[in-house]
Amino acid sequence: MPKQVTVRLTEVAKSFGETRALKKCNFEACSGEVHAIVGENGSGKSTMAKIMSGVLNADAGEALILNERILTPLDAKRIGLATIFQEVLVADEASVLDNLYVGCDSFFSMRTSTEERAREAQALLDRLVGHPMDLKATVGDLPLSVKQWIVIARAILRRPKVLILDESSAALDLDATLRLHEEIDRLRATGSTVIIVTHRIAELVRIADRATVLRDGVTVGQLQKHEITEANLLALMTPADRRLSEAANTSGRASQGDRTIVLKASDMIAQRGGAPFNFTLEAGSIVGVAGLDGQGQDAFLRAVARILAPFGGDVHIRSEDGNEMAAVHSLLDAARLGIVYVSGDRKREGIFPQQSIFENLAIGIYRRNLGPCGVIRKSELRKTFAREVDRFRVKMGSSQNRITSLSGGNQQKILIGRAFANDPRVIILNDPARGVDLGTKRDLYRELRAFADRGGAVIYLSSEIEEFLGFADRVDVFHGGSVFRSLRAHEIEEEAILAAMFGQSKAEIVEFTTERKVH
Amino acid sequence: MSLRKSLSVLAQDRSLFVPAALFAALIIGVLLLSPRLFTVNGLAGAILVATPLILTTLALTPIVMAGRGSVDLSVGPLLGFINVTLISWLVGNGITSPFAVIAWVVCLGAAYQLMQALIIIYVRIAPIIVTLASFLILSGLNLMVMSRPEGVAPDWMLSWGAGTSIFSPVLLLLVAAFAIWAIMRRTSFYSHLRMTGADERMAYTSGVQVDLIRIVAHVLGGVFVGLAALSYTALISSGDPTQGSTYTLQAVTALVLGGANLAGGRGGAVGSTLGAINMFLISYLLSTFSFGTVSGFVTQMAFGLILVGSLLVNVFLIRRQAAN
Repeated sequence: MPKQVTVRLTEVAKSFGETRALKKCNFEACSGEVHAIVGENGSGKSTMAKIMSGVLNADAGEALILNERILTPLDAKRIGLATIFQEVLVADEASVLDNLYVGCDSFFSMRTSTEERAREAQALLDRLVGHPMDLKATVGDLPLSVKQWIVIARAILRRPKVLILDESSAALDLDATLRLHEEIDRLRATGSTVIIVTHRIAELVRIADRATVLRDGVTVGQLQKHEITEANLLALMTPADRRLSEAANTSGRASQGDRTIVLKASDMIAQRGGAPFNFTLEAGSIVGVAGLDGQGQDAFLRAVARILAPFGGDVHIRSEDGNEMAAVHSLLDAARLGIVYVSGDRKREGIFPQQSIFENLAIGIYRRNLGPCGVIRKSELRKTFAREVDRFRVKMGSSQNRITSLSGGNQQKILIGRAFANDPRVIILNDPARGVDLGTKRDLYRELRAFADRGGAVIYLSSEIEEFLGFADRVDVFHGGSVFRSLRAHEIEEEAILAAMFGQSKAEIVEFTTERKVH
Repeated sequence: MSLRKSLSVLAQDRSLFVPAALFAALIIGVLLLSPRLFTVNGLAGAILVATPLILTTLALTPIVMAGRGSVDLSVGPLLGFINVTLISWLVGNGITSPFAVIAWVVCLGAAYQLMQALIIIYVRIAPIIVTLASFLILSGLNLMVMSRPEGVAPDWMLSWGAGTSIFSPVLLLLVAAFAIWAIMRRTSFYSHLRMTGADERMAYTSGVQVDLIRIVAHVLGGVFVGLAALSYTALISSGDPTQGSTYTLQAVTALVLGGANLAGGRGGAVGSTLGAINMFLISYLLSTFSFGTVSGFVTQMAFGLILVGSLLVNVFLIRRQAAN
């Protein structure tokens, strides 16, 4: 089959307000190939996928799919492009079958009969999910993993000429990922173009024919199949200055001397069905928490901060005088005993978008700055505010401006300042560096290390493995709802963490990544 | 067979469980307290009185199903507007042919809703604001067209309001409305409508023309308002500038009683009709007791209590289901 260019992006740029998500993006994919788009978080991969599928339109440059311009998802559907988005987009109220065939019809008339659809859908879902499915079931009652399959099946049922998968395997386990890969192979064999957007290197090494690498909104290189190796990819993904700076940024580990335990979680069951596990946090240490999405690490952090009650087990923290361990039973306990939680999901769990920068930082400390009759002592708050703004070098205009006037990184600094203002003893950060620039990250690492050196303790969840390197004193990797492996300082390296995230030893992951290259 | 099928639909769609159970309970209540309803005269009267509410609720249904919390508050005054313009502009000027009258009510309803939909979608104002403004504007406009109840319905319509035969033209209106719904249900527009209401982003990214779906939902609602206005005119045999407005809140109540989700995605003709009939039965049942001059207030209060009660039952049922 002669290869034709099916997707072509020329000099595409896209901005969201201040943020330039894509600066200069050139891309080309052919029929009958699996083409990967790789890059770190925030490098513009998802924006690129959204432009290709017509959800977003480019500010500059040209995006052609099968020689046509795509302006809306309807255009995309018409010419045979299907996209599986990062979010699991399903209608909870409707049946599985309705969810699978949404948008398949023209405005009033149906293209195929319901019976035909049911047969086709049943065959595909049985193959994908691995167990028989009831097509009449209401989607809202189904677990997340099945919803994910519904979204994937919806796209495959369109028999797309171009299929885009935007981080779609995130919620799938290894076995399921392999089934998805089989399906991708099948589509490639029929001459379709499959574009996978991912930051899971192992996955793309296994399946991609070509890979395009994005860095800070610019396409920096294209690799042919034989060139797709972890080393090549990492070299392209990481800018040279950054590698240097990260080495320089190694802020030193905790001193080996005093190792009193400040926080202890025993027999924790963070996620339904997870095995119970223990967790300890020593004074002066920074513990990294990693895992693929939905493996219980997020629930664990919330349980320790008591934002959610765990399914089992309890959390104890050393009391202020250091002699006994006090149980943490509620959010109020956590706050009283000096545990603070910082979310990386700024929009939903962080900022108050209608409030000023000042109020956003001060909201957590009103209670401890009350004068007579409960009147808030503004002058104290201003001092704290100035201290935290200074500490994190927040770039801002007036403190009375709305917080949304700040860039994402500066918003995050304010939120972390809110946590510091509470004089905590344990800081729990849930992926705080998501969508944050390098300078902010560096400030954050430095301050967290300083905090630990003063005797505090940090739990740091990140979805980017690189963040732990040279920073964490220990990394606990979650898999299947509990800690799968706990890596000591000298063991912390990219492959080891990645392997543990997949629930495998390091040797196995190397095999996984090379399996395809052998063929 | 068809009964069996409809029963299985009831069993599957749990949102219909509460309205159906309430319906059964109310029927038993009526049988015990006032079996007169089940005579020819009783049923004919019931159909006559309940039809405007059923049709108004049906008009709200597609609009609410399309989501974005767009409960159309203007349906009541719009019904009144169609009623008063029909009486004073058409009949007042000697235009009484059935064809002209039906064309007027349907087109006016559809045109008004089309305009409203365009404002909501393209000017991007929250539906609740647009329809609230509509409610106020139309309420005033109705009084400008006709300052007090007056006028007479066309001659051919007078017999409709007699309420002596079950198979009256009013029942025909109801059947026509259901037929429109049944046809609509068989098109892909219906599934697109539900998907849009359930998750607009999902529908949009799947290539559903979300805006167009919304517009058609409104226009369909407008057609039903037109039919409702026609049945209302038959019921009162004249024009009334103020009474129409009361249908807004009644229809919203009936809609929720029928198991629709005001946030969109869930609802249907069966539920809405059941909800509206339940409203009628409640007031009918209450009228058998003598509350004297306060009976109107008691009815309102009963609507409110039953609404809250049915929502509570629904919540517990769904929780129980989710727990299993």
